[in-house]
Amino acid sequence: MNLFDPGTVLLVALLALLLSGAFAPLEALGWWAGWYGDRVDEEPAPVEGEPVIVEPARSGNVTRYVVFLSGIDSVSDEPVPERQVRFLARLRDAVPDAVVLQVFPYSVTNRALTGERTFARFWRWALRQKLGTRRIEQIAGMLINLRNTWQVLVSADRRYGPFYDRGTAALMVRQLRRAGYQDGSGLPVTLIGYSGGGQIAVGATPFVREALDAPVTVLSLGGVLAADPGLLAAHHIVHVIGSGDRVHKMGAVMFPGRWPIFPYSPWNLARKHGKLRTLVLGPCNHTGDDGYLDDQKHVTDGRSYFDVTVDVLAALVRDPKGPAPVAAASA
Amino acid sequence: MEITALDLIPSTLALEADAFRALLARPGFGLRGALLIVFLAGVSTAFGQSVVLFANHVSPRRFVASLLVQALLFVLTFLVWAATVWALATLLLERPAAFAAAAAAIGLAYAPQLFSFLVLTPYLGNGIGWVLSLWTLLATLQATVVTFDLTRLESVLVALAGWLVAQVLQRTIGRPVARVGRWLRHQVAGKELRPFEPPGLGPR
Repeated sequence: MNLFDPGTVLLVALLALLLSGAFAPLEALGWWAGWYGDRVDEEPAPVEGEPVIVEPARSGNVTRYVVFLSGIDSVSDEPVPERQVRFLARLRDAVPDAVVLQVFPYSVTNRALTGERTFARFWRWALRQKLGTRRIEQIAGMLINLRNTWQVLVSADRRYGPFYDRGTAALMVRQLRRAGYQDGSGLPVTLIGYSGGGQIAVGATPFVREALDAPVTVLSLGGVLAADPGLLAAHHIVHVIGSGDRVHKMGAVMFPGRWPIFPYSPWNLARKHGKLRTLVLGPCNHTGDDGYLDDQKHVTDGRSYFDVTVDVLAALVRDPKGPAPVAAASA
Repeated sequence: MEITALDLIPSTLALEADAFRALLARPGFGLRGALLIVFLAGVSTAFGQSVVLFANHVSPRRFVASLLVQALLFVLTFLVWAATVWALATLLLERPAAFAAAAAAIGLAYAPQLFSFLVLTPYLGNGIGWVLSLWTLLATLQATVVTFDLTRLESVLVALAGWLVAQVLQRTIGRPVARVGRWLRHQVAGKELRPFEPPGLGPR
């Protein structure tokens, strides 16, 4: 067998892909089984230097909480892409009475990929490659996306979803309480899930709602969403997409519960009950140039894509059922 | 170098009849190697279905022990299946062959199940499980064709009849046996294995 013949290379790549998938649920499963030493049912002690972003409210009177879950290209919950940093700051300015936090949603133990992990060195290398521009380097960066995509599928799989979603929900609940959320206060909690973070937000919703006794709204920004039962636990869900975004469509194709032939799937029921609506905010693409956070491209009313995204999400944070300042149909 | 059952895995996966001929030409029909394949396939299958062990907080040591016990139960189930097929082919179709030959060939046909751990793959796992079952069935048909010198139609008939017998066995003498197997699994895991229901996060 020639190791370099295309068939062999393809076979090895396919096997590696499947292997990375088969092992993807093990982190969540091992965590649940207590194999890493931390007891699931206890609130873990805060870790020194734990990566979490808290943007305190601008006004003294806090009336709502926002949790941002980043897209699948994130390595830790330090918002590596500079656009995302500015996005969170702008969102906080636009909703001054909200506390805005960010949680890294692709690890139930909230360990950043580059943090205390066996493969930290590898992921740091992959991240450096991702920040580079050469093609071969982009392939390395794709490994990060691949790993996080599997974690989205773990959340969407009914065998693992309950473990995983409970784990990510526990992280969110802990950060919310640390940021001052009072259980039972009834203050609205908005989970903004970008890309794969959308599915993870939906999966965590029932647990967050129950733990905090809070109305939970999900704003999916180009989210890759399954027909998750969590949809029915949400106060409201807005699936915010750009007309140039093809990535979010993966969810509609991949997950049969999204297909119209299953009228009683959580997705179709949520739509029927008016809990779930889809909102096209403009011509944006999923990511990068032309993406939701691009401040160079502009819509016809003069705002940048970045501005439109901030405006729409801020309006939906204030009133998820109300109108949102989407871009006028562009010329 | 001597050919063992393990060497024949690639050609078995390709569903080549020559793989089974080569196996049966070996002294003792290469039964030991074939049984090793079944055992490893059992470990892989048990790992693929291990979610229930994680869900019940089974410790790593008991986890490994559980996989081994399930693999042994898997081998026992395989032996019953091989005996059923052997009895049907020998008695109904009057195609005599040594039981060891049938067990070896059908054991080799379990090679696709070596990949059963891939059932863990999120979202795609169940589909992969289906494909592997179908693959194993096709390999088993090939194994019976070679072992008993059957036509393809005859091999399908034997498999169908074997499936019917297995259904009857499961609903009769299989019940107490399954209870013992369940008891054994719970003993090794150290607790009753319940399906997973996530508790809520509770108040602070």
